Amino acid sequence: MTVESGPTVCHRLPAGLKLLLVALVIAAGLAIPAENWPAHGMLAALVFAGHTFAGIPLRYLLRRLALFLPLLLTFALSLPLSQGGDRGWELGTAIALRGSLAFLSMLWLIHVLPFPQLLATLRRYHCPSVLLAMMAFMYRFSFLLFHEVERMTAARRARSFGRTGFWFRWKVGAQVIGMLLIRSMRRAERVHGAMLARGWTGDVRVLEDKA
Amino acid sequence: MHIPDAVLSPAVCAGTGVLSTAAVGYSVFRLRSSLADRTVPMTGMAAALIFAGQMVNFPLPFLPVSGHLLGGVLAAALVGPWAGCLAVTLVLVVQCFVFADGGVTTLGANILHMAVIGAWGGSAVMNAVRNLLGGDARATIIGSVVASWLSVMAAAALFCLEFALSCWGPLRGSSEAVNFDLARIFTLMVSYHSLIGIGEGLITGMVVSFVLRQEPSLIRPAEPSTHLVGAGRLAFAGCIAAMAVAAFLAPFASEYDDGLEAIGTTQFAERMEQERQGPALLSDYEIPLPIAGWKESPVWAKVSVSLAGILGTAATLGIALALGRLIPRPQIVPQPAE
Repeated sequence: MTVESGPTVCHRLPAGLKLLLVALVIAAGLAIPAENWPAHGMLAALVFAGHTFAGIPLRYLLRRLALFLPLLLTFALSLPLSQGGDRGWELGTAIALRGSLAFLSMLWLIHVLPFPQLLATLRRYHCPSVLLAMMAFMYRFSFLLFHEVERMTAARRARSFGRTGFWFRWKVGAQVIGMLLIRSMRRAERVHGAMLARGWTGDVRVLEDKA
Repeated sequence: MHIPDAVLSPAVCAGTGVLSTAAVGYSVFRLRSSLADRTVPMTGMAAALIFAGQMVNFPLPFLPVSGHLLGGVLAAALVGPWAGCLAVTLVLVVQCFVFADGGVTTLGANILHMAVIGAWGGSAVMNAVRNLLGGDARATIIGSVVASWLSVMAAAALFCLEFALSCWGPLRGSSEAVNFDLARIFTLMVSYHSLIGIGEGLITGMVVSFVLRQEPSLIRPAEPSTHLVGAGRLAFAGCIAAMAVAAFLAPFASEYDDGLEAIGTTQFAERMEQERQGPALLSDYEIPLPIAGWKESPVWAKVSVSLAGILGTAATLGIALALGRLIPRPQIVPQPAE
């Protein structure tokens, strides 16, 4: 997920401004009437300019788009399929166009707004601190658990000697999740104990934001 | 399952946003008043667990794509409805803002479908079923399977409603009325989701039965229903069930006299979540594959939905009973956690 590129002018913008820009682009995409093609084109040019300034490689964008478009087109196509007629096609095209624009601007946002900065920004806008603490906790531990899943699947593959029956894979998949569940809950207990040992009382305290 | 931006109209986005903000706020409120200092690590870990659990791929028959867990009911079975709702919400927020998975404007709708219906509704259904069947391990498994299936169906029904509202003229701000046929979109969605629901029920049931065998104290015991709480929960469970039933009945309520072609229902298209290739993490996409060749008479649309419904219900019951039987009963009566 990480794209190698140094900080650019887009990275140095204030976090709140980045969020606002993306919100504006998405809102504009929704507000422009579907018939107004030039406006959509200008919005797209703006988004691509943002990508260029942020130094996001085109190949990465295309790869993400290739994975995203089938999903969006499914939604878009279900309209003409189920409603029929010109109106259905018109609505469907509008959805496809605006959806891609919104997706591209979100890609820009996740590229220039690192997660800690997002948390700090949300904190400044008075998002409940309990939620933010949970989110930080979750973000931290999801990567640990991803690696745990990878290790468990690798170990499982090593022990099953290439057995790949259909039902077998379902069973093994469920067992991996079950085992992960048990391990992660034990880990949560341990972490909770460690937090208590360091004076955790249930209140979230943070150092001054440096976002 | 993740609705991208621009699929729903601004008004619908705002409405679902308000609803899910209220639901998340209420969950935070309930959690604060219950278990103080354990909340943060437990909920955070449950969220990370659901997130990581979605990485595990399950193969689908006849299709080159694979499916994965959704996790609302599992989260609720693990940490209860309030924390479960928050856990799934966190997963969705992080998927949106860190992996660009699912739209920002539709985040409210996504939270409503997966976190609120999944955890609140799933927990209500599961509790109702458990109390009905006596509260032992088998009842727990049956409850989790039924709850998973119903919550997926209810989410599908709700999405259809939102989709229809989004295309409805007055809400779009255009005077031109779009003749939106709710029944048809229902047919399409319900056919897919009854199969997604089977997958979700199967995974959740197998995980719950595995955990019940290994460490039963992790699954929350069925809450004894006092009058008031029980009534509220039963009402909520009833709503979820009613929405799922409505999803099946809607196609029959429509009139097919307009002579337009019926949609291509793809009853045999299985779950359609395609996993992202390559080394990078997550980002999963759902691809309903409208398999050609089912574009037939309106009768077929009705028949296929009923078939899907019957198939789904039968499969759910079958899974539930089979999993319940796998468990050696005497050893694993769930104990209260503390």
